[in-house]
Amino acid sequence: MKIQKLFQKTLVGIFFLFAVISLSTSALCIYTVDTHLSAEYESNSRGIAKTISDSSVDILLNRDLSALQSLIDQFIEIQGISYIYITSEHGEFLAHTFVPGIPTEIARSDHSSRATVERSLPGMGDFVEVSSPILAGVAGAVHIGMDTGLIALKIQRAVGQQVYLISSIFIIGVFSAIWLVRLAAKPIDSVIAYAARLARERNKDSSDDKLLARDDEVGQLARLFLHFSTVMDFDKARGTPPGENA
Amino acid sequence: MNGEPNPDGRTEQTGVTDAEIVLGVSAAFSGPSRGLGIELYRGANAYFEHVNRAGGIRGRRVVLKTYDDGYQPNPAVTNTMTLVQQDQVFALFGYVGTPTVTRVLPMLKKFQGKNAYLFFPFTGAQPQREPPYGDFAFNLRASYRQETAGLVDNFVSIGNKRIAVFYQADAYGRSGWAGVRLAMSRHGLQIVGEATYRRGARFSGSMRRQVEILQQSNPSAVICIGSYAACAAFLRDAVDLGLEVPIANLSFVGSENLLKLITEGREDSRSYTNLLVNSQVVPSYEDTSIPAVKQYREMMDRYDPQPPSHVLKEDYTSFSYSFVSLEGFLNAKLMVEILRRLGHQPDRDKLEDAVFTIRNFDIGIDERVSFGPDRRQGLQQVYYTVVESGRFVTLKSWEDRFAS
Repeated sequence: MKIQKLFQKTLVGIFFLFAVISLSTSALCIYTVDTHLSAEYESNSRGIAKTISDSSVDILLNRDLSALQSLIDQFIEIQGISYIYITSEHGEFLAHTFVPGIPTEIARSDHSSRATVERSLPGMGDFVEVSSPILAGVAGAVHIGMDTGLIALKIQRAVGQQVYLISSIFIIGVFSAIWLVRLAAKPIDSVIAYAARLARERNKDSSDDKLLARDDEVGQLARLFLHFSTVMDFDKARGTPPGENA
Repeated sequence: MNGEPNPDGRTEQTGVTDAEIVLGVSAAFSGPSRGLGIELYRGANAYFEHVNRAGGIRGRRVVLKTYDDGYQPNPAVTNTMTLVQQDQVFALFGYVGTPTVTRVLPMLKKFQGKNAYLFFPFTGAQPQREPPYGDFAFNLRASYRQETAGLVDNFVSIGNKRIAVFYQADAYGRSGWAGVRLAMSRHGLQIVGEATYRRGARFSGSMRRQVEILQQSNPSAVICIGSYAACAAFLRDAVDLGLEVPIANLSFVGSENLLKLITEGREDSRSYTNLLVNSQVVPSYEDTSIPAVKQYREMMDRYDPQPPSHVLKEDYTSFSYSFVSLEGFLNAKLMVEILRRLGHQPDRDKLEDAVFTIRNFDIGIDERVSFGPDRRQGLQQVYYTVVESGRFVTLKSWEDRFAS
């Protein structure tokens, strides 16, 4: 009964330990993945925006806008890039990838800013927008929106995989704990049984060779029980209180 | 390139044997724009069939090596690579679409040592008409700039100055949009509203959102730069939502396919076609007073050209006549003339020179064809058509038809 209680406490302990591990590693994972992915996406987007802006100069100055559209259509196929638009130095949209139309928030925004902008577009999602000037800005700018929902999805996947791993380890740990506690409890049960037998059958020969022959703590405990029993029998025979001549 | 026959009967010239001249085609034979590729092919094949039955060009049959790109850029690039490198065709012919052709052009520049020219693509976009890729293509049709300028000028002339644009979100749409923008700027005007759709949209899809976006700008006319399925869907939803302004389409739309979609299953479809006007780059196939039109109709009837069965993936009901197949027919007629001018041993190295010998050539319509180093587009004229009695006819007066 006491062993079962001891086991329950161990189990609760393990559960709390794993919960703490799970929560702390998930939080760390979210922070790490979010930070790294956001930085990586922003860096890639800036690189792509710069590539497009560098390529756009010749097209804007010498060629038809369909060539510019063809150029940005190739980049929109890259995962994570949700929209691209190119504005003139006057803020006019020269090419874009929006369907069914340019979102009002973007149409009304200041396109001269080169800072990274966080946008929440109704019906489209959340985006981080980076810009790159064309010909130092005198010919306009390229703007690229990357979907932050994709980062959230990747975080979800990473955390999900981590929770799955920790849960698997937790289940294996619980079964291992049950097996180990049972293994540890078995000789203790034998000692308890031996002690009970000694108390019950004091006049009989209660020696248990196997138990007394063990060289571990259980054997020592059994031999101690036998010793106390023998001392008690001896004191009883002499009429002295138990343990006085020990 | 000496023209000596090799053991398998082929001469040294790429794409030419003693029996054949092979032209390579990559076009939309599947997907929602397949009607364009199929009709263009059928029109061209009617004339090639006529020439081949009459003994070919100096004994050589004209053969089309055909691939389907579904109106998608990447397959068009792959097909072009196959046609030039593997099939070694004599020339590329009758491609369909701006997003496909604009992606193929850099490849032609890469193959410039092989003189792999593209003849008469079914697109009016600028990239194949100007540097750096204009030297690798020859166009017969008028450009989108000319079509959109004509539409804008006519709308403005009747007082419809608030023009909005509905366009395909790609190079084709942008080319048309840029044409409208340029034409409007000449009048000191700006595009009042714009809405887009994704390439590959079907007639069954909704364009209500696009109509609502354009309605907010209160336009007095809408110019559509799209394919027939999407433009028919837009027209349907525009009329249903009460956008009662003239709606124009460019020649690329494929007028008969559009009309078929919008009128099919409707007892009275006049409300959907009353305000419709389509620009064309060939004259009306109803006008049999035009020699080339008469010849086209005769050959379409006589040969009944079929779509290329090996690339056909979906059912398609052909039209007896259409603007697209008439354009294909005229393309083939001019191609044959160019091949004839190459003499007994057609050589790709001499192809460009042969094209430049085309001066004031009578192709059988009311406009003569000329080419030169600075003129890589044969025809300049734009025609306007409206629907009457269930078919497209030449628009007689913008004022009478559309003035409010």
